[in-house]
Amino acid sequence: MASLIEVKNLSHTYPNGFTALKNVSFSVEEGEFLVVIGLSGSGKSTLLRILNRLIEPTSGNVFFKGLDVTRIEGDELRTHRGQIGMIFQHFNLIGRHSVISNVLYGSLGRTGTLQSISGGFSKPDVQLAKESLLRVGIADKAENRADSLSGGQQQRVAIARALMQRPRMLLADEPVASLDPATSHSVMNYLEQINKEQGTTVICNLHFLSLVRKYATRVVALKAGELVFEGKPDAITEEWFKAIYGEDAIEVEIR
Amino acid sequence: MRSADMVATPNSLSTKAFGFVGDLFIGAYILSVLDRVVVPTLADYVAFPLSPAHAIAYIVFAILFASTSLLMGVSLSAAFVRKTLPDGISRKILTHIGYFLLSISIIAGWIITDVSPIEFFSGKGLAGAGRIFGALVTPEFDIIGQALATMVETIYTALMATLIAVPISFLLSFPAARNLMDGSRPKRLIYSSLRVVLNVSRSMEPIIWAIVFSVWVGIGPFAGMLALVVHTIASLTKQYSEQIEDVDSGPIEAISATGANSIQTIWFAIVPQCVIPFLSFTIYRWDINVRMATIIGFVGGGGIGTLLIQYQGLAKFHEVGTLIIVITFVVWILDVFSARIREALK
Ligand SMILES: Nc1ncnc2c1ncn2[C@@H]1O[C@H](COP(=O)(O)OP(=O)(O)O)[C@@H](O)[C@H]1O
Ligand SMILES: [Mg+2]
Repeated sequence: MASLIEVKNLSHTYPNGFTALKNVSFSVEEGEFLVVIGLSGSGKSTLLRILNRLIEPTSGNVFFKGLDVTRIEGDELRTHRGQIGMIFQHFNLIGRHSVISNVLYGSLGRTGTLQSISGGFSKPDVQLAKESLLRVGIADKAENRADSLSGGQQQRVAIARALMQRPRMLLADEPVASLDPATSHSVMNYLEQINKEQGTTVICNLHFLSLVRKYATRVVALKAGELVFEGKPDAITEEWFKAIYGEDAIEVEIR
Repeated sequence: MRSADMVATPNSLSTKAFGFVGDLFIGAYILSVLDRVVVPTLADYVAFPLSPAHAIAYIVFAILFASTSLLMGVSLSAAFVRKTLPDGISRKILTHIGYFLLSISIIAGWIITDVSPIEFFSGKGLAGAGRIFGALVTPEFDIIGQALATMVETIYTALMATLIAVPISFLLSFPAARNLMDGSRPKRLIYSSLRVVLNVSRSMEPIIWAIVFSVWVGIGPFAGMLALVVHTIASLTKQYSEQIEDVDSGPIEAISATGANSIQTIWFAIVPQCVIPFLSFTIYRWDINVRMATIIGFVGGGGIGTLLIQYQGLAKFHEVGTLIIVITFVVWILDVFSARIREALK
């Protein structure tokens, strides 16, 4: 059986000439909770954005469900993106719009242009939006402006928006990097729940090893754009830690 | 000596080229001011065009000037941009050259603009000033009805121009925003050509457009409105597109990641970030347009400006005074009003 996602010899050089990824290969099976670690600047965000093709890589291939999505465009590209939910460090909600509207925007990929612009989202989608909000525990805030919510709440709205896509896979780019420790765990718990209960594959960039150990089923590490580690979270020994983060790095706990 | 903060940049070819061209201009400027304005004094400085001999003399002098400085490695213009002094030229010399350029410019400016303190302070001159100021402060209120009616015409000219220009500017502002047009070569081409057209039409003052349109559609408010529409589209598109270039790219990424198409991405990720600034620019533009509509009236754009220029032509300064009061009052009210709204929108 083919892996859900398969990355082969992926390299990416930005237009300014900077090479952010060098010959990266790995694959992800359905249902995994894969965490990507690495110093800031090591290419984690670039990698995630290539998986849902917000970025087109300069070379190598990405297969999603056995399909080569490396160079797709137009409708095919939008369909591909639609199957993958993404959440971000800075939540990226539309601050002036209501929470429920933000969640509904997760269905833009399957809603016609005119229909969506005139606000006519379908009944099942409105229903799904409400359920998604319920799922992340903020149904009572549906009519509030998104920017009136706390950081943790905003990230949960972002998760609901991603759920709205009925995604096969979730990408999370340092989802808790701007949250405090307690809120971080709550957000990570929601991701874990979705992963365990629905079997949705999650690929998540993280900074803190304690979170990695708690949530990851598998880990890959990037260093200066190269894949330097692949294995179970408990295989990250002191030596590996120093190899990934540098000799002077000290592990910080987040509880 | 402040040499510590002077960054030594390499004597690159482009710096040299810039220095040479800059010094060409400085050389030509010094010679032309001396030759045309300062030396022949008042009599014949406006005798354009230049004779071929003159033109050749300019070019030769400028080339000599620039070449000398290039050979000596002391290009003046390059020294300004590099903020560093080339070897062999002291800051003092540069300062003296600066003062020299400034003083010949002031002398030339004085002569060319006919500055004449004698006329300004002569008895006849002062009597004239007294007459007009006197008239202006004793306005003729018989024409107040006419003044208000034409003022209304002016306000609506400005309003219509703004309203017509807004949707057009809105649509144009997206292809005029660099961050949206960076993708491909054809997109960049559209972006660049649109920018050129907008910059050119914005550089043409509305009063020029008004002259064009008053010939095209005849003197009146319609000509004035068309002139304002052109200028407003050019200005608003620039402001709108700069706002679009300023938006947070996070929401754009997030909306694209849901599988939304480009129109949906613009509508749901960009527009919400821009509506308030757009509204603010638009209200300010209407405010500016009322002032411009007044001026445009002078050249046949209709409204209170046209009335004012007619009374001025008839030397009816009491009536002119009335119009100035009405204009000042309305502009002031609108200014306060639009500032309030813009403040509230923040
Ligand atoms: N649009 C871009 N243009 C040029 N360089 C970029 C761009 N985006 C990221 N980079 C560079 O690529 C490298 C990897 O960035 P990123 O993938 O964001 O790393 P990470 O998410 O691990 O911090 C960094 O050095 C960054 O400066
Ligand atoms: Mg990153």
